[in-house]
Amino acid sequence: MSQTDTAETAETAETAETAATTVNRTDGQDVSTTAGETAEETRPEWTSYDAGGETKLAVDDLDVHYGDDHALKGVSMDIPEESVTALIGPSGCGKSTFLRCLNRMNDRIRAASVDGSVALDGEGIYQDGVDLVELRKRVGMVFQSPNPFPKSIRENVSYGPRKHGDIETGLLARLTGRAEPDREEALVERSLERAALWEEVSDRLDDNALGLSGGQQQRLCIARCLAVDPEVILMDEPASALDPIATSKIEDLIEDLARDYTVVVVTHSMQQAARVSDQTAVFLTGGELVEYDDTEKIFENPESQRVEDYVSGKFG
Amino acid sequence: MSRATRTALVRDDRTAYEAAAGSAVGLSGIAFAVGLAALLGLVAIDAPVAGVGLSVALGAVLLALGAAVVGFGVASRTGYVDTGPQPSAGIVAAAAFTGIWVAVGAAASGAAGLGTGGRLGGGAVLGGVAFATTALPREDIGSTVPAGAVAGLCGLALISGVVGPGWEHALVGYNATLFGDTVVPVVVLFASLVTGWSAAKASGGFGARGRNVGAYVLIYLVVGSILAVLVGLVAFVAAKGLPGLLNGVSVGGAGLVSWPFLTNGAGLLADVAGVFPALVGTVWLVVGAVCFAVPTGVGAAVFLSEYAEQGRFTGAVEVATNGLWSTPSIVFGLFGAAFLIPRFGNQKSLIAGMLTLGFMLLPLVLITSREAILAVPDEYRDASAALGVSKWQTIRSVVLPAAIPGVTTGVILGVGRIAGETAPILLTMGGGVLPAKAAAPDVLGSFRLSASPPFVSNPALLEATSALPYQLYALITAGLSGNIRNPQEFAWGLALTLLLVVLAFYAVGIATRYYFRQKLHQ
Repeated sequence: MSQTDTAETAETAETAETAATTVNRTDGQDVSTTAGETAEETRPEWTSYDAGGETKLAVDDLDVHYGDDHALKGVSMDIPEESVTALIGPSGCGKSTFLRCLNRMNDRIRAASVDGSVALDGEGIYQDGVDLVELRKRVGMVFQSPNPFPKSIRENVSYGPRKHGDIETGLLARLTGRAEPDREEALVERSLERAALWEEVSDRLDDNALGLSGGQQQRLCIARCLAVDPEVILMDEPASALDPIATSKIEDLIEDLARDYTVVVVTHSMQQAARVSDQTAVFLTGGELVEYDDTEKIFENPESQRVEDYVSGKFG
Repeated sequence: MSRATRTALVRDDRTAYEAAAGSAVGLSGIAFAVGLAALLGLVAIDAPVAGVGLSVALGAVLLALGAAVVGFGVASRTGYVDTGPQPSAGIVAAAAFTGIWVAVGAAASGAAGLGTGGRLGGGAVLGGVAFATTALPREDIGSTVPAGAVAGLCGLALISGVVGPGWEHALVGYNATLFGDTVVPVVVLFASLVTGWSAAKASGGFGARGRNVGAYVLIYLVVGSILAVLVGLVAFVAAKGLPGLLNGVSVGGAGLVSWPFLTNGAGLLADVAGVFPALVGTVWLVVGAVCFAVPTGVGAAVFLSEYAEQGRFTGAVEVATNGLWSTPSIVFGLFGAAFLIPRFGNQKSLIAGMLTLGFMLLPLVLITSREAILAVPDEYRDASAALGVSKWQTIRSVVLPAAIPGVTTGVILGVGRIAGETAPILLTMGGGVLPAKAAAPDVLGSFRLSASPPFVSNPALLEATSALPYQLYALITAGLSGNIRNPQEFAWGLALTLLLVVLAFYAVGIATRYYFRQKLHQ
């Protein structure tokens, strides 16, 4: 009985391979893929891209497991500073997981385990003794759906600095005369201006942030992130819940931010990646980084057949 | 092409049929209201109306309504008016009318002098007929004829005086008698509910729209009666209690109000005996219980939902908390008497009462706070963490503010329960039946520094103290007597004061919740 089973399994595996629905990976594992994706071997040189300039984030051989699920497989890439790096790929390919590894937000998911190393300015963020508060101050994050706190616009923006003790506005500070309302005001104005929201909300800073429109809320979240003065901004599909006009505002903002910050943006929209990013990393099914190169090269002349199929919309 | 029936898309004219059915609904509503008033004792059932007694007049109305309802059904069935009935009134209506008619049949057979077998037989026969009449014919007959017949029967019973003022019926096997002035209003309420529903269906032209209107009328009548009972209860207590509560109230020259019932104690020298000690006792009791239970409950909820690993431990705590909330209050009282009293001077004391009620309040605060904290979206926590804010700071500045309205709801519900509790304070706090003004606890003014640990003492917390519900209970068990002029009036005033104190705590809670909700959403 067990002999037949084994024989059958072997046979199935064989058919699957020939039917081109699995990728024969270098480590010999068979992984089924999205229908329509052709089988091919990922070559290391496709991802060994050097963008030039200083490397802000160096990722080396990063593996992520969610329980038994191998979500990210041996990803290595260097993210250059003061530029926009887009991460694209079909649903479930691990691009959001990868993004959440860059400021250790995956620590908040109990089932997730991360192997490999990520270095911010040469310092490993997964080594012992890393201060998560300091890390997340330097590597900020903007989420897929706008998530302002149910507080006033002003309090939303100044939330990070207040909680870090950089600005004192509490009752005690006011009583003892150590409050710095002017500094808070200046910070709020600067951050909102940087996020292209100041003109729309300058006359109602004390209104609840939940009364803003979706696009305004998302820019408020960006302003809130900028107020902490990060070096890297991670954005997880920041425009996917927004209408076209709000989306284009966010896209303009991303390009603008890249002059001072290192921006890493996950997106579902290939047009968005093509418009805003300097370099693009393509993740495909199974949680592997298939190709990483100049955005132009990825969209016009990719090395990988699968990437070409993906960016030309044949699957995904 | 489906076989769905089509009716006019636009109904621009109200037909005479709809108008008639609508008036029948209105008349049923009026009969219902009068029945309710009679049940609450606001009108007498033998009050003269147009030359006859009220019950006879109501009987005539019910008979007319019954006939009208049957008429609506027949007019619709014969095609005299254009309606959209469904093939059957449905199993729910059939079951309801079967139940009604079984009862009618059994009662009628009993009245005719038949034995148990005869009653069962009579009930079964009429029930069967009602089921067949409701379920088998088209909806317009099924939902009007049984309804009209039962209303007409009720009307006939009232007109003929079979049931009326002065009627009474001793229940066989029970030590109880049914009186006409209770049964007549109940009959009217029931029959007008049935005709109201049936006429509402007719006015909607049966079918889906008719059922909608019928359900609407039924719900409104039931909600109205619940509100009436509520208002009636409060009005009853207020009417009985106001003379006592307002006894001797006067406004002085400087606009100062003198309110002896609230500011006096009981005693031979007092002109007007008052409830001051018990009032202060109740307020301190609730304040003490809230001060104990809210910080501990919210703290435990934060730990259970934010820090503890969700699993067997939190599950066990949850089960235990729910069990504790359903534990009878007398058990808490016994615990307080056996555990707390020996630790606080071996006598009944205010602080033992506070802690006992605090223990009672704790599970509800814990349960509702936990729910409220779990309901705070995870996005807030993620957003805060991504800004590099520590977990405790996040809980303090984002999670707890967002959870405050839910926590307040729990505290409001809990305070409503504990403020009126008698059993626990009977065992733990005691106090006199008619305490003098000097017996009122002066908690704030009684703190004393002392040379030995614990260096601060408060005799007021360690004394037996009276509270409103306990005083009421003690007064009643003492046979409403004592050194006061009018114990009856005093007791009702006491009850009204208790009601007002509980409502005042509610008001404070609701205002707090409103304030924090506004803060979150504006």
